[in-house]
Amino acid sequence: MIDQSYLRRFLLPALLLAAVYACALAAIVQYAFRTFVPGSLEVGPPTLHNLARLVDPLYARVFGDSLLIGLYTAAATLLVGYPLAYALVRTPSRALRSALFVVAITPLFTGEIVRTYAWLNVLGANGFINRILLWSGLIGQPLELMFTTLGVCIALVHFSLPVMVMILAAALAHVDPRYERAAATLGAGPLRRFALITLPLSMPGVVSGFVTIFAWTLSAFATPQLIGGGRVTMISNLVYQLGFASFNFPFAAALSLAAILLTVLLLALLRWSQARVDRMAVHA
Amino acid sequence: MRKSVTAAALAAVLAVGSLQAARAETLLVSSWGGSWQEMIAKTIGKKFTETTGAKVEFVTGGTIDRLNKAKLAAGDPETDITLTTSHVGWLYQSSGLFETLDYARIPNAAKIFPEARISPGHVGVWSYVYTIGYRKDLLPEGLTFDSWEDLWSPKMKGLLGLPDFDPSHIIAVSAILSGADPQHWEKGQDKLLALKPSIKAFYTNDASSQQMMSSGETPVQILLSGNAFYQMGQGVDLALVIPKEGAVIGIDAIGIMKGTKKSELAYKFIDAAFDPEVQAEIASFKKLGPMVEGAPVDPAIARLPGVFTTAEQWKEQAIVIDHKLRAEKLGEWKQWFTEHMIAQ
Amino acid sequence: MSPRFLSPRLVERALRLGFALLVAAIVGYVVLPAVVVAIASLNASAILAFPPDGLSLRWYATALGYRDFQRGLVNSLIVMAIASTLAVAVGAAAALYIDRSGHRLRGLLEAVLVSPMVVPNFTIGLGFLIFAVEVGQARTFGVVVVSHVVLVLPFVLRSIYVSLRNIDRRLERAAATLGARPGRVFLEVTLPMMAPGIFAGWVFAAVLSFNEFTASLFVTARSTKTLPVAMYDYVREYADPTMAALSTLFIVTTVILVVLANRLVGLDRILTMESPR
Repeated sequence: MIDQSYLRRFLLPALLLAAVYACALAAIVQYAFRTFVPGSLEVGPPTLHNLARLVDPLYARVFGDSLLIGLYTAAATLLVGYPLAYALVRTPSRALRSALFVVAITPLFTGEIVRTYAWLNVLGANGFINRILLWSGLIGQPLELMFTTLGVCIALVHFSLPVMVMILAAALAHVDPRYERAAATLGAGPLRRFALITLPLSMPGVVSGFVTIFAWTLSAFATPQLIGGGRVTMISNLVYQLGFASFNFPFAAALSLAAILLTVLLLALLRWSQARVDRMAVHA
Repeated sequence: MRKSVTAAALAAVLAVGSLQAARAETLLVSSWGGSWQEMIAKTIGKKFTETTGAKVEFVTGGTIDRLNKAKLAAGDPETDITLTTSHVGWLYQSSGLFETLDYARIPNAAKIFPEARISPGHVGVWSYVYTIGYRKDLLPEGLTFDSWEDLWSPKMKGLLGLPDFDPSHIIAVSAILSGADPQHWEKGQDKLLALKPSIKAFYTNDASSQQMMSSGETPVQILLSGNAFYQMGQGVDLALVIPKEGAVIGIDAIGIMKGTKKSELAYKFIDAAFDPEVQAEIASFKKLGPMVEGAPVDPAIARLPGVFTTAEQWKEQAIVIDHKLRAEKLGEWKQWFTEHMIAQ
Repeated sequence: MSPRFLSPRLVERALRLGFALLVAAIVGYVVLPAVVVAIASLNASAILAFPPDGLSLRWYATALGYRDFQRGLVNSLIVMAIASTLAVAVGAAAALYIDRSGHRLRGLLEAVLVSPMVVPNFTIGLGFLIFAVEVGQARTFGVVVVSHVVLVLPFVLRSIYVSLRNIDRRLERAAATLGARPGRVFLEVTLPMMAPGIFAGWVFAAVLSFNEFTASLFVTARSTKTLPVAMYDYVREYADPTMAALSTLFIVTTVILVVLANRLVGLDRILTMESPR
């Protein structure tokens, strides 16, 4: 056990960094309380007008849409990521394991810009998917994938997958295979073993992965911007459109502040749910 | 051990920082990247280096990103010269970022079109139009674009692509079609709302405009003329029209940053930009309109729709939105447009 | 549960096959954009099209010869090296404190340090730019590095937490009982056990810093422009397959490096964090 006084030394760099970060956020958030002057980059006297404007139902809707897209994406990433993580952890073949790992992690190594442009090529009316489906005769008309929530989610899931797989794989690696073998010896079928042993024991990873991806997706910008084509608007796109691109710093700051407050709420939720699941896992 | 790692890292940061020592006789120019940078370097930059012996270095980025950075760096500008869009130039001007231009120090500017004098601090160097472009092979039977009104045709359902970064063009057109003008744009709001069935998507930059046009995603777009010509050159079956009401003019302008220590060179750079030969090269390079009357523009270029070389063309074919009005209204326009047209 | 006429072995086999097919389909989904980009990069004409009109390698020449990309690569490598190292140093210390300390405010500190993951990156970038101007640090590598450290820290913290939770605390207690001072317990017991998590966190930080784009757009200047920002500048102006060529190079290099790293140190074991047993 490291004693508390020794621990305190570790705190300093993080506190310093947190302070600089807080200053940076304060530098932008202060604009939320200033008056917007059209046609100028200067801001006017203090005001609460920017915050009052946030109650417009449009903004509530965009926030709501963003939460929904976050939920869809997190759920889909979980469904896609779980089998991959499971295969990664449980495959006996070293070569196969390496190959799966490389596949799972590579999307992390291609930047936002490249990845999004790649998806334009895959999802477009003349893109890969539509070409294949039209050619095979399965569809007569190109599918609408670009500029739809579905298209945005497909790309967001891909983006989030490496992180999800790592979180899940870490959790699954903790599930001792001997429990499953013991259950098999006792006559439990594979589905039963999964439902009663593996899944419950990996729950901390499932919750952590889900919340991480959900929160991560909420701040997505480039993907909804390019693949949504203005038809799918998330919080960041709204801030960019209404604030930075129309030179209305004060309102952009007000929207950002609202997003940050939402974040604080989410983090509280994350800690609460994780604590609960951790307890359940211990009891299981 | 952690301390020494931190110290080493800091030392590395400082060492790299000190490598940025300024080189003598280099003019720093803020502009768009990519083909714009290439064009400026090969036309204005080349002429400037020939006459002064000084080099040009570029700081590139999007219009808005550069504006925000310039504003934050007021008084200690990163660059000596800024090229930006005319109305955004007004935001530099009204924020006190530009020096007032002394035309006596720009002899070549004697013959510029009156439209080029945008503010005391910035002057237009080339023009283009935003107008209707369409895929000839994907247009429904019987649809033509003699007038902007045709965008509202029921046949246009789900075909139109618009820029999401600037709604000024369609807002000005809607105001005009509703019997008003950009100053009283509110009168065109109903007209704008009626356009919604035609709109398929919004593009975020020239590259995504090209992507959406070449893929057929949006076979009709309001787009930058130069962008349309580029695509035609790449074999896209595209036509560009100037409707009878005219096309919405765009002017890119140049200004000297307040606080520059190279004012002399900066004026030489602007003078090089208005050299008639350079103006003709610019016109050929990106099929843009010159801002100097009588520049020896290649006739094949001068014939293109939206390339204005005479005062009459400016009068008859251009919809000019007052640049200052546009700078002041853009925030309001974008907000209304985002709330009612994009995010609905 | 299974119907009686199917033998358990048959069910097990069918499930195995089904699972293998499912994993194969997922792998297909993950590699699809990379494959499509690779095909597009060979396109002869400048307009991105699928399938290509003809084949050509000229976009590879453009991508490799483009000066902005070359300079951006150097800048990105500098920022990546410094930012990831700092992030790991700060993150390991903070994770240890947050995990071990009983202090009331540690939750707040954690919330602040993890928040960059959910605050839009361009808000953070612009905030850092404004702040850097005020303290006279705009246009330096300093502001780029610090903002990258802040942005990658949540991921570093996460991977280090996992390794901390895997540590058998009884070993620390045993060392302390045997008379080791706190510093020695840390250096000789705790730190070695944290090493896999630290290494994984470092890889995470390096990769994310190298790819960070949105905040970098604001905090970089002429002399500090990173590769993703240079690529963005390019992609705004040209829709030709140069980007596709560059990304293909990126992906191929990455796959080779990851395979090598994996061979050497077993990255897969560390990143997916098998607990030592």
